[in-house]
Amino acid sequence: MNNSPNIKPDKEVPELKEGFFDLLPKGLTEFLNEAGEIARFAGKFFKQAFRPPFEFKEVLKQAFEIGYRSLSLVAITSFIIGLVLTLQSRPTLVEFGAEAWLPSMVGISIIRELGPVVIALICAGKIGSSIGAELGSMKVTEQIDAMEVSGTNPFKYIVVTRILSTTLTIPILIIIGDAVALYGSYLAVNIRGSVSFTLFFKQVFDSLEFSDVVPAFIKTFFFGFAIGLIGCYKGYNSKKGTEGVGRSANSAVVIGSLLVFIIDLIAVQITEFFGFL
Amino acid sequence: MIFRSADMKNGPAVEYGEPVIEITGVYKSFGSNHVLKDFNLTINRGENVVVLGKSGCGKSVLIKCIIGLLSYDAGSIKVFGNEISQLPIAELDELRARIGFVFQSSALYDSMTVRENLEFPLRRHGKHKSKSEVQGLVEETLKDVGLLDAINLMPSELSGGMRKRIGLARSLILHPEIMLYDEPTTGLDPITSGEIINLMLNVQKKYNTTSITISHDMHCAKVTGNRLAIIVNGVNYSDGTFEELSIIDDPQTHPFFE
Repeated sequence: MNNSPNIKPDKEVPELKEGFFDLLPKGLTEFLNEAGEIARFAGKFFKQAFRPPFEFKEVLKQAFEIGYRSLSLVAITSFIIGLVLTLQSRPTLVEFGAEAWLPSMVGISIIRELGPVVIALICAGKIGSSIGAELGSMKVTEQIDAMEVSGTNPFKYIVVTRILSTTLTIPILIIIGDAVALYGSYLAVNIRGSVSFTLFFKQVFDSLEFSDVVPAFIKTFFFGFAIGLIGCYKGYNSKKGTEGVGRSANSAVVIGSLLVFIIDLIAVQITEFFGFL
Repeated sequence: MIFRSADMKNGPAVEYGEPVIEITGVYKSFGSNHVLKDFNLTINRGENVVVLGKSGCGKSVLIKCIIGLLSYDAGSIKVFGNEISQLPIAELDELRARIGFVFQSSALYDSMTVRENLEFPLRRHGKHKSKSEVQGLVEETLKDVGLLDAINLMPSELSGGMRKRIGLARSLILHPEIMLYDEPTTGLDPITSGEIINLMLNVQKKYNTTSITISHDMHCAKVTGNRLAIIVNGVNYSDGTFEELSIIDDPQTHPFFE
């Protein structure tokens, strides 16, 4: 806070000379501005996440809200993905006489890519929008100010806890989703053929390698972090009014989903670079 | 014309304590919109000042600067002798425990029950209170606002008037010395508005608070305020009792009393 009594806001500010950023298209400067603000927001998260007091109770509460309440949606969609993927892939494999490879192919697809990405997108929709709308409405109805007046650091209490919760909960949701998708696949295999539960899962796990599981699992933490970060950023910086709340929720989903793809792309490049694949 | 109570020959009838809020030469702008310009106001212990002004003239900004929710560009705001802009966050939090803030929108936490809403500032500011002490304080404060029955309700189950009363109860729970009311009667019917005004008077009596009330409601201003301050063009334009200001023949002041 500038507290010098000599500074008068009426003072005229000299006109700035045109710089490099003024020459860029407006859309690009806005994008760079937004990216910079998100990076600063993330920096503030890391700065405050590791400083006491720690809000463990609130992290657990949010993990329950985020995880448990998304479980049924994740389970249903994962089950359908496993079922449909198997039913769609089967005819092609039969054509090549490779029907026996069905569990391995579906297993690798789900564990490596489909499970994490699709479930992360579902979470970006459900969790990202709910965080964006909740924080947006808290901002508009002055609840965040009320928290600050009550001697609470609202960033720590609201933002840090939610980002930590999504970072820790979304990987668990993805693991559960993967398992349910594989079960859906097992049922789909048994619609036309007859494979025992043990044999199906033995084939799936035999085909999986360390390099399939670990990078796929690690990237889920980044998905969770990105979804929580964007939801909180959009909600916390929501403009006044109900329209602002809607816009926050909407852009939390759009940017969160886009980030899931970008992180996935980067993860693939990194795993290739280190020779995991 | 800038009117001051001291301009009147008799001066204010009641003597108050030492200054608890001193606002000197405060400037606050939002971009090119200069909201407060060299704003000055001193509030003594026991005084209840009502700040009036047109919408968007900076009344809410003023009390948010007092409690440190907004920073000001220049000038000085001292609360209990502490310069707000220079206080470290821990000390600012300690100071905030001595100030109650009633928000215009009540600002109740949607995800918490009424009980949890009231417990929140207690747990945050008064860390060493036992469970039974907390429970006792919550019930006592809810009794003061006549809403003990609502203790387990969610904010979404409360009417506008009830929300205001719970908001008031939450700010009272720490027994503050200063109360800041941001449009406490806005959006309420005359009966509920009257109830809130009575509550504010009870709070003044029971807790012996000093207060600043932001309001457009002249009845509220007349009943709850010992003194009125009218903001015009970012400055404290008129400052005096209701009776003093209501008889001034000034184009900026007079419309408030019509």
